[in-house]
Amino acid sequence: MTIAPKAPRKLSMKDRYSALTRDLAWDPSYVTNEEMFPFTNFEGITIHDWSKWEDPFRLTVDAYTKYQAEKDKRLYAVLDGFAQSQGHLGLTDASYLNAMKLFIQGVSPLEYQAHRNFAYLARHLNGPGPRFAALCQSLDEIRHIQTEVHTLSNYNKLYTGFHSYVWQHDRVWYLSVPKSFFDDAVSAGPFEFLIAIGFSFEYLLTNLLFVPFMSGASFNGDLPTMTFGFSAQSDESRHMTLGLEAIKFLLEQDEKNVPLVQHWIDKWFWRGYRLLALVAQMLDYMLPRKVMSWKEAFDLYFEQQMLGGLFVDLAYYGITPPKFVEQAKEEKEYLSHQVYWTLYQFSHAASFTTSIPTDEHMEWLSANYPKFDELYKPLWEKEKRNVAAGGRHFDRGLPELCSVCQIPMLFTEPGDPTTICQRHSDFEGERFNFCSDGCKNIFDHEPEKYVQAWLPVHQIFQGNCGGASIPDVLAWYRMNPEDGGEYLGSTDHQNWLAWHDMAEKTGGN
Amino acid sequence: MPVKAISEYKFPSKSRQELYGDDQLVHVWWKDNPWFCAAACFRAPRAMPWSDFWSALVVPFFEEDPDWSPDQQFAFSIDGTPVEPKATDTFADIGLVHKGVLAMVRA
Repeated sequence: MTIAPKAPRKLSMKDRYSALTRDLAWDPSYVTNEEMFPFTNFEGITIHDWSKWEDPFRLTVDAYTKYQAEKDKRLYAVLDGFAQSQGHLGLTDASYLNAMKLFIQGVSPLEYQAHRNFAYLARHLNGPGPRFAALCQSLDEIRHIQTEVHTLSNYNKLYTGFHSYVWQHDRVWYLSVPKSFFDDAVSAGPFEFLIAIGFSFEYLLTNLLFVPFMSGASFNGDLPTMTFGFSAQSDESRHMTLGLEAIKFLLEQDEKNVPLVQHWIDKWFWRGYRLLALVAQMLDYMLPRKVMSWKEAFDLYFEQQMLGGLFVDLAYYGITPPKFVEQAKEEKEYLSHQVYWTLYQFSHAASFTTSIPTDEHMEWLSANYPKFDELYKPLWEKEKRNVAAGGRHFDRGLPELCSVCQIPMLFTEPGDPTTICQRHSDFEGERFNFCSDGCKNIFDHEPEKYVQAWLPVHQIFQGNCGGASIPDVLAWYRMNPEDGGEYLGSTDHQNWLAWHDMAEKTGGN
Repeated sequence: MPVKAISEYKFPSKSRQELYGDDQLVHVWWKDNPWFCAAACFRAPRAMPWSDFWSALVVPFFEEDPDWSPDQQFAFSIDGTPVEPKATDTFADIGLVHKGVLAMVRA
């Protein structure tokens, strides 16, 4: 009797993962490690043993693509159904899409930036574990921008402001805020990038970015965006795991890494927090049907989850909560109001529209923000009188910008929400202005980096943005007249009313 | 602390004064008026007399406020130091540097 040879045993997912990552690593023989990985020394981070990296992604490429394809199938089925059934008419209001315009102009291009730099890490990190994790995240990020673009492209056929987001991301004044944030990160070293994006953005602040947008979509009838959110959610969970592993790995490798990591946490918390100012106003002002206030979101997703949970754990390594976090906590009462008031008066130069909050909306703002009636309602009441008299508050010039976050200098002094905060530093005989102690602190650590910032207002005044007049600049921005300004009476608003009127007359057919 | 980089990291400022020729940037901050969300930024000739700067650039910007009154008087300061610009003063005369901030409050 002969015994048939056993069929080759199928490897478990864990073994296949190991074969794909650890077993494909090798030590170089004809070049040095430093020559093969030239970018992991200059930041001053010490790594003793790359194999100590705990792999947060236990995936193989075949399993990864299978899961993602299944998710994509579901998403694209929803997109088709939504388009065929005129699902856009089920939104709460056309003004809701201002939030999505901001998302595709400001956030989606960051996915592409993240894709590029995680691909760089997938080549340049020394350890096979973090290289593969970075590869997976790189793939996630390119998939995210693709699905976001496909999700929102349906609206582009029917609504203004969606058409030139890529072009605008690189040029428009308010989009220089997210762009400069990511430019700062990708021009840093690989470890700073891991803390900046992998940890601070994808872990510390991600819930404050994605949950408001995706919940806002759900509350306002935007099924495609909500489905995209679900599709991305499992990826985001992996990204959070990677961010947490990255910081633990750096802290556990050598005590000398702790002050460097702390400095990056301080810096990138503040940079990310300033970027989220756009989300704050979106939550409180752009969603016709509210999800939660910015104040509630900040309290839940940052103060409770991060300060009350994560940083308690990180104290073990000697890490403390980010510098200037107390200022952020104080600002949760004021931030959204100050930012929307700014966007309102500059929306004639934006690819979204704004409007005075309705009475019902103002009641909600009063109920959620104790200082609203004292500080901000009087401004809106004055603007109501201005509009009734035939005016509309559009600034006639350009604002002072912060040299780090690039946001107009609209934020107020700690402890005094009535006085704008002005800080400055002198570097090599030149003055640079900042919106806060947080941004000044960042500049003072690396002035050489921020002196080369492409500040939109300064570039306009240098004649680098299509011309000296607002119409010239808007043409250079590829903004159509109907893209921005006042929402009431806008093209989107008029179409919305006409479509609903038509649907009513035809019984919804 | 210098930037940690793989090679020399030295770039010129993208908003240095020489990029504006004979002009400079000036910020004017109406400190006690929240109608304007931020200080305004102007490009103006360095030799421009104060009275021209005020009437040609500052007033057209701020008169967008429905409560603007041409008779309103203001007290001015630069980084907390009071200044009293005279009609013929240039920015240099009152100590306003490129990208400096001139604050004003109702007198």
